[in-house]
Amino acid sequence: MPVVGIPVTLLTERIGADLSPDVLIEKLQYLGCDVEGYATLRRFKCLRCGNIMEITETQDPPVRCRRCGVDYADHADERQDLGDDQVIRMELLAVRPDMFDPGGLARTMRGYLGESLGRRDYAVSGPVARVTVDPALDTDACPRPAIACAVVRGIALSDDIIKVVMNLQENLHWALGRDRKLASIGVYDLDRVCLPELTYRAVGPEELSFVPLGYDPEAADSRITPRRILEEHPKGTEYAGLLAAYQKYPLLADGEGEVLSMPPIINSEHTRVTDGTQNFFIDVTGSSRRLVGRTLNVLVTSLVELCPDITVEQVTIAYEGEELVTPDFTPQRVTLDVAATGRLVGIDLDAARLTELLQRMGHDVDSAAGTTLEVDVPAYRNDILHPRDLMEDAAIAFGYHNITPVLVPTMTVGGERPVEGVARVARQTLCGLGYLEVMTLQLTCAERAYDALRLERREDHAEVSHPISTEQTLLRPTLAPGLLDTLTANAHREYPQQIFEVGEVTELADTDTGAVERRRVAGAVIGEKMGVTEVRAAAEAVLREFGWSVRTVSADLPQFLPGRGAKIVATRDGDQREVGELGELHPEVLEAFKLRHPAAYFELDLTTLTGHR
Amino acid sequence: MTTLRENEYQLLRALADTEDAILVADLAASLSLDQSLIMAAGTTLLEADLAEMQEQSYEELRLDSDWRKLAEPELPERLIVIGLSKAGGSATIKELPGHTGLEQKIVGQSLRFLTGKGWAQKSGPSLDLTDAGRAALQQRSADEQLIDFLKGVKSATDAELAEEGIDWQGALKLLQGRKNLVRTKERTLRSLRVTPAGREAAKNAVVRQEVNQLTSDMLADGSWRDVDFRPYDMGAETEPVHPGKEHPFRRVLEQTRRVFLEMGFSEIVSPFVESSFWDFDALFQPQDHPARDMQDTFYVNRPDHCALPDEAVLEAVRRTHEDGGDTGSIGWRYRWNQELAAKPVLRTHTTACTIRALAEDPNPPRKVFSVGKVFRRETVDYKHLPVFYQVDGIIIDEEASFASLLGTLEAFYRKMGFDKFQFRPAFFPYTEPSVEIFVYMEEKKDWVEMGGAGVFRPEVTETFGCKVPVLAWGLGLERLAMFRYGLKDIRQIYISDLTWLKEAKLCR
Repeated sequence: MPVVGIPVTLLTERIGADLSPDVLIEKLQYLGCDVEGYATLRRFKCLRCGNIMEITETQDPPVRCRRCGVDYADHADERQDLGDDQVIRMELLAVRPDMFDPGGLARTMRGYLGESLGRRDYAVSGPVARVTVDPALDTDACPRPAIACAVVRGIALSDDIIKVVMNLQENLHWALGRDRKLASIGVYDLDRVCLPELTYRAVGPEELSFVPLGYDPEAADSRITPRRILEEHPKGTEYAGLLAAYQKYPLLADGEGEVLSMPPIINSEHTRVTDGTQNFFIDVTGSSRRLVGRTLNVLVTSLVELCPDITVEQVTIAYEGEELVTPDFTPQRVTLDVAATGRLVGIDLDAARLTELLQRMGHDVDSAAGTTLEVDVPAYRNDILHPRDLMEDAAIAFGYHNITPVLVPTMTVGGERPVEGVARVARQTLCGLGYLEVMTLQLTCAERAYDALRLERREDHAEVSHPISTEQTLLRPTLAPGLLDTLTANAHREYPQQIFEVGEVTELADTDTGAVERRRVAGAVIGEKMGVTEVRAAAEAVLREFGWSVRTVSADLPQFLPGRGAKIVATRDGDQREVGELGELHPEVLEAFKLRHPAAYFELDLTTLTGHR
Repeated sequence: MTTLRENEYQLLRALADTEDAILVADLAASLSLDQSLIMAAGTTLLEADLAEMQEQSYEELRLDSDWRKLAEPELPERLIVIGLSKAGGSATIKELPGHTGLEQKIVGQSLRFLTGKGWAQKSGPSLDLTDAGRAALQQRSADEQLIDFLKGVKSATDAELAEEGIDWQGALKLLQGRKNLVRTKERTLRSLRVTPAGREAAKNAVVRQEVNQLTSDMLADGSWRDVDFRPYDMGAETEPVHPGKEHPFRRVLEQTRRVFLEMGFSEIVSPFVESSFWDFDALFQPQDHPARDMQDTFYVNRPDHCALPDEAVLEAVRRTHEDGGDTGSIGWRYRWNQELAAKPVLRTHTTACTIRALAEDPNPPRKVFSVGKVFRRETVDYKHLPVFYQVDGIIIDEEASFASLLGTLEAFYRKMGFDKFQFRPAFFPYTEPSVEIFVYMEEKKDWVEMGGAGVFRPEVTETFGCKVPVLAWGLGLERLAMFRYGLKDIRQIYISDLTWLKEAKLCR
């Protein structure tokens, strides 16, 4: 999870209550924030492009602007030191984007602390513009059908607020947009946009051209086509993957045909936001109307929380056959059963108490019915899918720390799986013989599971399609690689060594998932005086505990020295089962595992022996 | 009447034969006993006033580690005297190596011994043989005599040297400044002499036999009653031995299993290779959820396809994802793709196991758990491995509540040895309300997150026909083991140092 630094002053000013630093962190934790603690950030502003950069106490000041790239070694006067700012560092709570910034977080805290109860209303006027949506955007050729827009006027942005808004936009892209894939936000200078008629349409790769953000409109060849943007613009190449399957590209343009942006890639230079911009046009495009609507709501309401004097105006979105108005702050109505909530959380609740809890979480509540509540959920909440989600809100407002832990009163009889009893007997037997238990990784590779053991490669193991390392490509078909790797790792330790493992191996099988585990036990001994006698005795000791006798049948097994390998056959009352192999490891195997002493090995299949997996 | 052990009696008899004091070494030789045994028996006699001890200190001399280098075949000053003599009584210092076969450096170092003995004197660059030097050709100096004698013996006492007529004190004076040639050590000569009481006791003492070993025969014939058992040195240390042992992490896994068994849970299992359906879809994880990315999850290409449950179950899951179905949810609102659900993965959590159990039998009351390996696409480092253990459990119960989830988790961690907990709100796609458990670590003086839990969402349970609350948790176990055993690197668990395995304390 990304970590965000919430400026303490911006937050506490907006909460309005006087909280000590420790209490503030405690309350944030009660709300579910994963707080790392306080930190000091130093801020620098790039005077060339207006970008604001933050560094921690251990980092050096930026040597170049991360946005426009100006090198401060040559242009020291273009880097302004904005000084230190104290922040609370916390992990972003992905499902609560309305708590990503100091404005939204303060809104939640005010409610939680009881400073303001119920849902916050946000004034809107309009609509002042209309975006016509091209039906071609809802096809496989260009599947980015949803858009939501807003007009915001009168923002006087200070440097610290600018940074907060930049961070918010970036974090919304991460949390709701999945790095712009599901939703992406565009912000434009309203005064450069010709209202009221805009179009959101699908265009061919060569259908038109415009000057993308960062290109000089005066320069020759700065107007380029969508195709060239994807091929040569830094943002185009960075995000081209998102449009890889598109035959046409989304485009937002105004009444004069001026391009605002090519979502989700790049804005136009024409509508660039500058230091003095006070009026903004904002759009969110993406895959689902609900998601782009919620993303816009989060952004706009947080802007109002940060800059209370701004005005918000709506925009009509004209889909084929349906018109919506955004931002739409209509609350989501959810009916909640009072008794069911109390039962599920495990606390005593009546309608009045539950009403108060939900109001403290920012909801409006109509408790007229008594046994059920009609709850109006704010339009910036994206995580309320089911009444159950409000039960959690109530539990959080109540405080997890105030809930008395109890146990389920119902009596049940437990029991272990039989194979665990089997495994325990095998472990106890080998421990009794002086073997040390090891536990090794479940993933191995063909080089170790077959080649290093001089075995023919097989295909009846489960195999990972994109391993993270060449040493971990398949689920182990045998315990041998792990045990021998352990001996390798202990080459410098005292000899002789005796180790064993009881664990799962995986085989392909005719089950619903196509693979299933077997339980095995394997042991290895290494040292001058250790050999076949020791491992045969150990294997026999294990089998004896299960009531089986052992017969070892000499066999030609490549991992062992010729004439020193055998199949282990368990016999009991006329029943015979081949349950494993043992022998003295072939010197080539020892070399493959870099072992410098003679070693012997046995492996028994406990599943074959006992029928338990 | 005095009762004595065998050795004590023998010693007393030997002492009583004479009025004189007898050296301990001589007693050892005549009685064929080790000197330490003579001393032990002697101590008893001394304590009983049957004997008295006399101590006399003396010097012991022996050749030291470098003597061959410094004095073979002769001390260098003698070689120089011989060399000068052959050269007619005088030579320059530069010529001496030619005359003596010595290195120039040795010649230089030897000059002070040469002049110290008065065998030669310097005259400008030359060295002239003196009368004393000529005389020395016929006569060995005291230090040479000492060395000559010591060459033939391991060591010699001052008394022995005096008897040989060797002026060992003079010799040592001459050898001053020559390191590691002759070593001296002050030693003590102990001898025992009988007292009058001892002489009396020797006549009528009773001897008790003393034995080392209690034998089966002694037990059989009762003869153990007639003997003394020689005391052992019970303070002596023994070589450490190490038993075969269970792996320390196994202890944690087994304790975890035992705790849930004690609490009335049944153990369940599911395969490592799991369908995306059971790993994700059945748990209401939307198909575009980042946890399902190839970045984080191991997809499997062999087997390449999983069978899915019957059509009715698939349809219920599809509807729940798309619009909530009959669960009262609004769903995730996207088009659910059955093919993605059939893709095999290495299970990313053991919740795949508990949801299977729920689907199989959703009827309360049920309490099941699974301790097993799960797989995440993590690069190996000191705190991450691609495979690790989790314990997942669920409680299906009419009476279950979030409060009883907290109670169950608290009971578990108490049994695992923790006594301070915090429950903090959290988010997981398949539980609501959700909680993270923190335990207080004295060592770190901080709260440490141990795992996540919650009440399964209705979108999860109702899809499988379960109408009562289902409490669920998935807790990591390696971290618990790392704290318990003070491990800084998670790899130590799976690529173990055998010395650590031997020495790790199973109980604390």
